[in-house]
Amino acid sequence: MKNFSNKYIFLYITALVVIIAGLLSVVSIALKPRQMQNQEIEKAQQILQAAGYDQIAKEDALPLFSKIAAPLESSTQREMYTIQCADGTQGTVIFVDGKGLWGKIWGYVVLADDFNTIKGAVFSHKSETPGLGANITEKKFADSFIGKKIYDSNGKFVSIKILQKAKSGGGVEDANRVDAISGATITSNGVQEMLYKSIKEVEK
Amino acid sequence: MKKYLGPLSKDNPILVQLLGICSALAVTAQLKPAVVMALSVTVVCAFSNFVISLIRNTIPPRIRIIVQLLIVSFLVIIVDQFLQAFVYDISKMLSVFVGLIITNCIIMGRLEAFALSHAPVPSFFDGIFNGLGYGLVLTVVAICRELLGSGTLWNYPIIPASFYEHGYMNNGLMILPPMALILVGVLIWMRNSKLKQVK
Repeated sequence: MKNFSNKYIFLYITALVVIIAGLLSVVSIALKPRQMQNQEIEKAQQILQAAGYDQIAKEDALPLFSKIAAPLESSTQREMYTIQCADGTQGTVIFVDGKGLWGKIWGYVVLADDFNTIKGAVFSHKSETPGLGANITEKKFADSFIGKKIYDSNGKFVSIKILQKAKSGGGVEDANRVDAISGATITSNGVQEMLYKSIKEVEK
Repeated sequence: MKKYLGPLSKDNPILVQLLGICSALAVTAQLKPAVVMALSVTVVCAFSNFVISLIRNTIPPRIRIIVQLLIVSFLVIIVDQFLQAFVYDISKMLSVFVGLIITNCIIMGRLEAFALSHAPVPSFFDGIFNGLGYGLVLTVVAICRELLGSGTLWNYPIIPASFYEHGYMNNGLMILPPMALILVGVLIWMRNSKLKQVK
């Protein structure tokens, strides 16, 4: 076995790291536009799904989205759109974001024209536990928000509470709550917190 | 040629050496991500073997693991970037497991056991066949799990709707990770009992 001097080792590893870092930057810059476009398509698909359009193909998502949705100016920086829902009514899309157990969670909530009733929702996450917290992306969970209201019967802003099935009381009206995901308490709380904070920013 | 075929049967990385089990359990709920994962591992294994073998005489032995990790992570990041750019939905399904190819023991194992002591071209083929041996097991497990767990293959419905009307139900257990462990266990058992007969 050859003997390598310390100087050789230092120079060797430094050169290797510099070369690899250089190559990686080139690849990353070259592929960036395609990756960004994929993310745009995914976002459009998610919003369309929340607005009641089912099974929109990848190619159709962006054209349809730009046709029926328009960005909404708001005093806060929150991303919002007006959108024509699948049933023909106008809705408001609100981008919501917060944190789950392991990382970022986000989603889009579509409110009906009374700015109270939820017409649809869709959620995504970065790294929630598969089979537990990750289930917030499932249609079953998202659809449980449909028809719920963000104001209680006294007109007070309460957002949506996400509670265990058994805990329906505590002064929370049925229209203001959905069932949590069992085994995913922290992610469920995260969704609740995310909805409250994000919608609070834009409510009148 | 024959000496390269070991990983496909008698030297299979998953069934015999029990390497790479973690990702084998995680990505086999459906066929499509399993195949993409297998291809990614094959590509990374082949090219990391090739590159390490190419520079094997210049690597100071004291830092060889660091150098290997650098090369492997370089290739894994490239694969990850390509998946994100061209098959975005699958890349989301594989999520963290693409990054974890870096720590896949099959790859480090082949670098240490083969690439450091063999010429580049044989090393390249060694990597390909080890990747394929890994992919073979992933494919078999994924076919069982997707067919019995979701009634589909490659997202196409296989089990006819009339079955469901007569009360057939998908086995939900198949989609959960423990079932992958049991299936891999069954495969190992089948392989071992066959090996005994040969002896």
